[in-house]
Amino acid sequence: MLRSDQILATVEMIQKENLDVRTVTMGINLLDCRGGNIDETCVKIRDKISNYAGNFVATCNAISKKYGIPVVNKRIAVTPIAFVGAGFHREDFIRLAITLDQAATAVGVDILGGFSAQVEKGMTKTDREFIASIPDALAATTKVCASINIATTQKGINMDALAMMGRTVKDLAEMTADQGGFGAAKFVVFCNQPGDNPFMAGAIHGLEEADAVLNVGVSGPGVIARALERLIHNHPQPGSLQLDELAEEIKQTTFRVTRCGELIGRAVSKALGIEFGVVDLSLAPTPTVGDSVGEIFKILGVDAIGAPGSTAILAMLNDAVKKGGIFASKTVGGLSGAFIPVMEDAMLAEAVGNGSLCLEKLEAMTCVCSVGLDMVAIPGSVDADTISAIIADEMAIGVINGKTTAARLIPVPGKEPGEHVNFGGLFGASPIMPIRNVGMSSRFIAWGGRMPAPVHSFKN
Amino acid sequence: MKKQMIISVMSKDRPGIIASITGAIYRLGGDVADLNQTVLCGYLTMILSASFDPEVTKEDLLAAISHIKTECKFEVSIKELAVVSADFESRPPEETYILTVQGPNKAGIVHGITQFCYEHNINILDLATTLKNDQYTMALQLDLRKCSVNLETLQKELDDYSRHSDLTVMIQHNDIFQVTHEVSLH
Repeated sequence: MLRSDQILATVEMIQKENLDVRTVTMGINLLDCRGGNIDETCVKIRDKISNYAGNFVATCNAISKKYGIPVVNKRIAVTPIAFVGAGFHREDFIRLAITLDQAATAVGVDILGGFSAQVEKGMTKTDREFIASIPDALAATTKVCASINIATTQKGINMDALAMMGRTVKDLAEMTADQGGFGAAKFVVFCNQPGDNPFMAGAIHGLEEADAVLNVGVSGPGVIARALERLIHNHPQPGSLQLDELAEEIKQTTFRVTRCGELIGRAVSKALGIEFGVVDLSLAPTPTVGDSVGEIFKILGVDAIGAPGSTAILAMLNDAVKKGGIFASKTVGGLSGAFIPVMEDAMLAEAVGNGSLCLEKLEAMTCVCSVGLDMVAIPGSVDADTISAIIADEMAIGVINGKTTAARLIPVPGKEPGEHVNFGGLFGASPIMPIRNVGMSSRFIAWGGRMPAPVHSFKN
Repeated sequence: MKKQMIISVMSKDRPGIIASITGAIYRLGGDVADLNQTVLCGYLTMILSASFDPEVTKEDLLAAISHIKTECKFEVSIKELAVVSADFESRPPEETYILTVQGPNKAGIVHGITQFCYEHNINILDLATTLKNDQYTMALQLDLRKCSVNLETLQKELDDYSRHSDLTVMIQHNDIFQVTHEVSLH
């Protein structure tokens, strides 16, 4: 039986409230592409990507058209390249990045992730060569994204790798100074990095995965915001609506959003004959007005993002999203939570500009959501050790709380607080976030070694 | 070999209509397969299919129904099917879409939309309309398998229709509504 009220609610969600599938990401294992030398390896990588992903974009577009739901990004994630290129040198890794970039361009995907290494406990000679290649590799390519996992709850934090991260971030930004330091936006440092996350810059095809797999990232902060506004509008009497009812609305809306993502993902997977992996339930904002996670804070009752109460709101939002999504999907994975990438969310960026959201509050908020300090534009003058130390704090949150955290900081060359940077498109724009206590953490970073893994009991 | 009959009944609504009709069918040894009923402005209409032994005729069934004691006479029509139809697909075809139409109420909305469907050889599987605060809403479940144009062209023509008729007309695949409104995945 047709229920026109239900039907109209879904039509609104799709046509007017920015419902889209943020990304369909194809994970491809490249371990079997290793040849006797770099040339041979590059050929094999190009062939394998073209073999698996040749029809990927066209298939996504056809299914998107059939269902009338846009698939915003078509992406590829590959096996962390440091594994694929074991024994290779810095120059070889730059060539691998260029090969990946060309392969991604040839199959028409928007972006490719997996120029990565996992060094949470120790670094091999290859890992060091690989990390040294990142600034040049990302400056020489447009579609390649890099990530490094330097910490896990099981192993602690690799402080030697951490010390290199601040320098890497600085080099990335400085080598792309003409683009506002955009190179740093393609690089993210992780704790507990998942192997099936479809979102960038941190997507990889984990070693535990099958040869090829499709993961879907749903979106929908705009849909959640509008659903909450409708509910509040329909309960004008003070006291007629309580927070648990708002949480329930988020849960139910997420259920419907996730269902749409799963429908599209499974249809693409069936059409391509590639195994369906997971739906990642993250609420990913875009710079488009009305598609903001920041807006949800204001709807839920704080007049400024970053005001006391913001962390509690985010905790509830993140949890309600998981509850709705986990029931909606057969297989959930990746990061699954709410993202707060400052530059990609117009309202969060505005909160940085007017001073209501500071780095410390943002860090507190990352304790209760995925993913971490994401797309934060900081002054170009901040030194490498301070950047490493900011990353260390974020890693510690992940290690102790047994969750994924990440840091994607952009030290914008030549810019200071009060100034703006604009990358355009989905990467967005933001004022520069002031950083306090710059240059005060060098002795801590200089220790090196490892921060030991935490005790897994006595959790208080 | 059983024979199948399609029976439609209209009457002023009251408790017990379906019990009376199906009672008459039961006493003739009939087996009800499918039944749909709806009530509009106090009038009930139902359509059902039932199978009978070969010797039961249309006339027997009409007589049985006309003997039911009721205040308002049933308007009955019966169609005997030559061939017993195979079980209908419980799942709608892959090319099933939902069309929604919204706009200020005026004469001719339903005709206009259904005429559009007819001209494009689109079969209407289900249709529901509501009138609230002078806003008219239609939801149609459509089978596009034999549609005379492809989805893209249809979408464009519906956009044109929208513009010229002061109605908001949108089309979306049936699966979307299924997955967002139902708990079980197909």
